[in-house]
Amino acid sequence: MSESAVAARPSDAVTPAGNGKFRRSLFGGLVTALPVVLIGLAILGFAPAYYMHLALAAFVNLIIVVGLQIFMGNSNIANLGHSAFVGVGAYGVAVLSTPLAMKKLSIPNAPFGLAFVELNPLAAAVLALLVVAVLAAISGKIISRLSGVAATIVSLALLIIVHSVFLNWTDLFKGNQAFFGIPKVINLPAMLVASVAVIVIARLFKDSRWGLQLRASAQSPQAAAAFGIDAKRLRLVAWVLSALICGLAGVLFAYFAGTISPKLFYFQQIFITLAMLILGGMATVTGAVTGVIVLSIGLEFIRSIESGVTIAGVQLPQLLGLSGVALGVVIVLCMAFRPGGISGRLELDEQLSRLFRRDAR
Amino acid sequence: MLTVENLSVRYGAVAAVRELSLSIEPGQLVALLGPNGAGKSSTINALTGLVAPMAGRIVFDGKDISRTRTEDRIRRGLTSTPEGRHIFANLTVGENLRLGAATRRDPKGVRADIDRFLALFPVLSERYAQAAGTLSGGEQQMLAISRSLMSRPKLLLLDEPSLGLAPRIVAQIFDFIGQLKAEGMTLLVVEQNATQALRFADRVYVVSSGALRYDGPPAKLADEHGLLNLYLGG
Repeated sequence: MSESAVAARPSDAVTPAGNGKFRRSLFGGLVTALPVVLIGLAILGFAPAYYMHLALAAFVNLIIVVGLQIFMGNSNIANLGHSAFVGVGAYGVAVLSTPLAMKKLSIPNAPFGLAFVELNPLAAAVLALLVVAVLAAISGKIISRLSGVAATIVSLALLIIVHSVFLNWTDLFKGNQAFFGIPKVINLPAMLVASVAVIVIARLFKDSRWGLQLRASAQSPQAAAAFGIDAKRLRLVAWVLSALICGLAGVLFAYFAGTISPKLFYFQQIFITLAMLILGGMATVTGAVTGVIVLSIGLEFIRSIESGVTIAGVQLPQLLGLSGVALGVVIVLCMAFRPGGISGRLELDEQLSRLFRRDAR
Repeated sequence: MLTVENLSVRYGAVAAVRELSLSIEPGQLVALLGPNGAGKSSTINALTGLVAPMAGRIVFDGKDISRTRTEDRIRRGLTSTPEGRHIFANLTVGENLRLGAATRRDPKGVRADIDRFLALFPVLSERYAQAAGTLSGGEQQMLAISRSLMSRPKLLLLDEPSLGLAPRIVAQIFDFIGQLKAEGMTLLVVEQNATQALRFADRVYVVSSGALRYDGPPAKLADEHGLLNLYLGG
């Protein structure tokens, strides 16, 4: 211990700390997004039209799950309300950008003169995300003060409140009926680009000083507090960013599908996206991506068996409800044998570099 | 450097610290000794702002900091190493060090400091990208102290650095603490392990049941075996 521990000296040691940290996590995010790009391009190039619609659902789920990971993965608090933000994003652009002629049919009595507003899709998207941000900031103020189960319950309450507003404010949202006529301005390539961007954002946040400090305070609140880390503020930041990405998923969904209804943004979506994140592993962005890929493909496969198939000349009976059962079984098995999810604690690029280092030895 | 006047900490009806007064001069190593539950950790938490004191004044570097936030106290140069190490076990050694500098805004200086601790403790350098939970207990304590030093404190509060460590490792930890003192660092070491804490101490406070029982040089405390027996159980 001949070196000084206190006095500051210039250091000429080659440091693994800091240098190109931003570039490394940018690169890491792109590596994580690579499987998504490959699958997306394969679907665009070879898949029949029927798969386009499946791919849309998968990409929307991907953006939601990555958004969810930003809050859940870093703060370690379960969120059961993120579909509220997806819904607000989708209904936001629906109300703001649907052509006037369509509105005359669907929401002629909209309040605040919204029946006579027709913004271009980009402006509508920005405004819708602004509404998401305000809602997230208000709900986040409450949630960031709580921790654990209490925060989760509040997120659930938010979902229920937003859903009942969609259902009951029929003049503005058409209630239980489908809201149609939203301009279809998003195609699959645009969805692919958005997915990559969102994955990179999530990775940059995770590796940023905010993300790191939030992960630390989730792990040991006392120690984090002793270093002056403000866990509440960090939880709020993660919550708002997470909400914005979920809102973006809603915007893109509305602009792709053209028709939305409240039940799309409720418990079924909550459970499927939560299952994807937990199955893949919520500690990493890679886990979010993995969970979406595995469950999207797996569920589609099960659905095809569900309707009855012929294997080696034997006609299997219809097995309605199999997908639900299989989903449950897969999650239970995964949690029993890999509680951290498929991906564990390492991002894809970290797993790869570890693999190559082992080979080099 | 630090003056504490009549500090009282209560958790509901329970008084953890009662009218405690102590002072630390620059460059000193002050030991705060006492048995389990004496109020030592509560004192540290009040000094760092993690709990709000019921009454009393804390003056650091000539400023009353009794009501300031933890973050501001760290910026002024008052940092603690929490009891039981509280390493972020799932984060890497490097990330742990970075977190110690959470209040700093000079990335270059932070990087240089990280390099210094890596040179000082080669094991931290070897395990730089590994989870800190894979370190041994003694290595974790070295990391915990290094992590606290990342905020460049003027006064470092160490809460039971010997907790759960083998005697040989404890001696190494205190060698390092002695080295910090030799380099001019001011330290307050809270301990149950009197023998090690007294090796470098300039002044000793003994607390029991939240109140001060002894204040003076370590030599006198060592003479008065009765006191040691009474309050530290040997």
